[in-house]
Amino acid sequence: MKTLNILLIEDDMIEVMKLNRAISSLQLHHKITEANNGEEALKLLEHKDSLPDIILLDLNMPKISGLEFLKILKADDRLKYIPTIILTTSNNQRDLLECYKIGIAGYVLKPLKYEDYVSKIEKLLSYWSINELITV
Amino acid sequence: MSQDQIDILKRALEREKKARKAAEKILEEKSRELYFTSQKLENLLDEKSSQLEGVFENIVDAYVVMDIQGDIIKFNEAATRLFGYDIGRDNVNVKDLVFKDDHEYAMASFMQLHTQGFFKDYEARIYTKSKEVKWVHINASVVYDKDKKPIAAQGIVRDITAERASEEKLIESENRLATLVLNLDSGIILEDENRNIVLTNKKFCELFNIDAEPSDLFGMDCTDASEQNKLLFKNPEAFIQRMDEIDSAKKVVIGDELEMVDGKILERNYMPITIGKKSKGFLWTFTDVTLKRTYRKSLEVQKQKYYSIIANMHLGLVEVNNHDEILMINHSFSEMSGYSEEELLGKKAGEIFPIEGGSEIIAIENEKRKNGESNSYEIKIETKQGEVRYWLISGAPNYDINGHVVGSIGVHLDITNLKALELQKEKLLLKLEKSNDELQEYAHIVSHDLKSPLRSIDALVSWLKEDNKGKLDATSLKNFELIEATLEKMEQLISDVLDYSSVGTDTTVKADVDLNKMLQDLTTILYIPDHIKITALQQLPIIKGDATKLQQLFQNLISNAVKFIDKEKGSITIDFEDLKSHYKFSIQDNGIGIEKQFHDKIFKIFHALNKSKDSTGIGLSIVKKIVDLHEGQIWLESQPNIGTTFYFTLKK
Repeated sequence: MKTLNILLIEDDMIEVMKLNRAISSLQLHHKITEANNGEEALKLLEHKDSLPDIILLDLNMPKISGLEFLKILKADDRLKYIPTIILTTSNNQRDLLECYKIGIAGYVLKPLKYEDYVSKIEKLLSYWSINELITV
Repeated sequence: MSQDQIDILKRALEREKKARKAAEKILEEKSRELYFTSQKLENLLDEKSSQLEGVFENIVDAYVVMDIQGDIIKFNEAATRLFGYDIGRDNVNVKDLVFKDDHEYAMASFMQLHTQGFFKDYEARIYTKSKEVKWVHINASVVYDKDKKPIAAQGIVRDITAERASEEKLIESENRLATLVLNLDSGIILEDENRNIVLTNKKFCELFNIDAEPSDLFGMDCTDASEQNKLLFKNPEAFIQRMDEIDSAKKVVIGDELEMVDGKILERNYMPITIGKKSKGFLWTFTDVTLKRTYRKSLEVQKQKYYSIIANMHLGLVEVNNHDEILMINHSFSEMSGYSEEELLGKKAGEIFPIEGGSEIIAIENEKRKNGESNSYEIKIETKQGEVRYWLISGAPNYDINGHVVGSIGVHLDITNLKALELQKEKLLLKLEKSNDELQEYAHIVSHDLKSPLRSIDALVSWLKEDNKGKLDATSLKNFELIEATLEKMEQLISDVLDYSSVGTDTTVKADVDLNKMLQDLTTILYIPDHIKITALQQLPIIKGDATKLQQLFQNLISNAVKFIDKEKGSITIDFEDLKSHYKFSIQDNGIGIEKQFHDKIFKIFHALNKSKDSTGIGLSIVKKIVDLHEGQIWLESQPNIGTTFYFTLKK
């Protein structure tokens, strides 16, 4: 199984901890890069030689919101190829519609239960591990 | 015998001889004379009869001789022409000639011929040889032989067909004229020099309330009659006086008006009739003009009424011709537009007032008027003072007497205030929509912001449990469980509040929803324990609505029922009834039931009756909101411990 370079864009510290802990408890060896907000993420993405394989994006963030970040990403000729999966608590139909319109690779609702969360993350990452990805 | 005696005898004989000779001579002379005379007479007779024959042959009228049996013996040339028979070849009997309808008359005339020897002025129809019918006039007499025995009859036959026809025409036109006079809509009286009635008609009798036939009045004295009739008039003496005046002047009088007691108004005309220089009498005519007068009067009243309505109404009125040139405006329009009537007359309405494309609208509308269409439209205009106003114009074509469109009439209503309100309303609606949207967004953000910490707490709790596995006592583990349960309830509460606020804000399009399919879907989504059976008593209808919300409605009610069933065998029964404008649904369970006092309360938000782990008290509030949204009602019937039936209606 491929190890993935994952960019996690999340402002909530505990959410970051959740993902890290889930990955380690699942004994996966994906590399996780953290960005606390969209701006930080964009900065990281300037290093074109070390682009992530996939992006996990929270919608509800200060400064640049997830949607705005997504728009910027999809407008960029190189970055638009990075599969971006939304990881959010919002099941707002409008958000879903908007995200799919702009272009996303998945939309995952954060469940209440941590065990459920771990199970969802396991499936998500195993799916992307078996996918062929491109590097532009 | 003596010589003397012999001598005497001899002398006597001699005398006798001589006398006889003389007599013979006279006789001879006489007979010669007679012979000559008879010769002469015979010649004369011949002459006379041929003369007579010539007369008959040559008279213009037909001359006919027939024998006693009625067989025609002789036709002169005119008769041959008239009847068409050639008497030399054809055998003709007089019976063949008589027209069938005149048979009786003909027989009577023949009888007269037999008894009296002649008849005169017989006028009847005959057939010619070609069966043509002709009117003839016949004088006939019997021809006798020397013993006074009738041997034939002769007749002069005159063709009077043409005369007869013109006579009939004359009678016909006289009749027509008489009928016309009799039934004329004006009462007439023709009187002679002595004021006696020569002619009158029905209308006259009617106008003067005379209960008699017009002919009964002929010969009556008009002066006397008027003395009786004067009482019919409002001013009897004036009536008589004026009549006498007219009568003595004997000049034409036209248009005198007489007011009658019963309210009728008569118009009286008088004219002497003279033909050549001869007076033929005096003609009075009376016409009932009451209607005409009152019509004119009421027309005047109506006109005045409408004039004042037009002048005083709060609607601007404009009349234009086919070239859109203003012909007339009312006072209100002058006030509305700021222009005086003088300033506008002859100007083009479509050019003075409109702004922002209004001229084109008016041009289009004017075309519609020419086609006879009428309708209403709005335009934006500028008054003389430069004020921008909105007008609602109701335009209709204007016709002349012959039905041709000669222009149009527009009624103008200033709707600027209304329009402002309308615009304001539109703005408010937009604003409301926006703030609704914002509210919705806000609800989502709030729910997200509230849910995130719950997730974090749950994660932290489970890490604590994980990291301290085996170190925690039973009480602590129990407390952790309680924290997790509380988190779940909190999460549910937030979701329900969000759902509740979402109902009615989303403006999804209504579509046909098949409730049967929806119910089937629901039974797979919902957790239904094995001991509970859900049955629909009949095929559910397809209704117009919001699929998601309808599903939520059924889902909440069914899961509610599932939640509160306490019997060993649970049943949930779904049924519906087709009302006129709505469908009435029922969802019946055999659960714990709800006491009467709570029936209204349960639809209010946060009113969960049973504080349980999975009841937030919002479910039924959402149900009520969805039913409201579908213009329906919801209520319930319930008996504690037996079960509950929820009823709700949804608009078709």
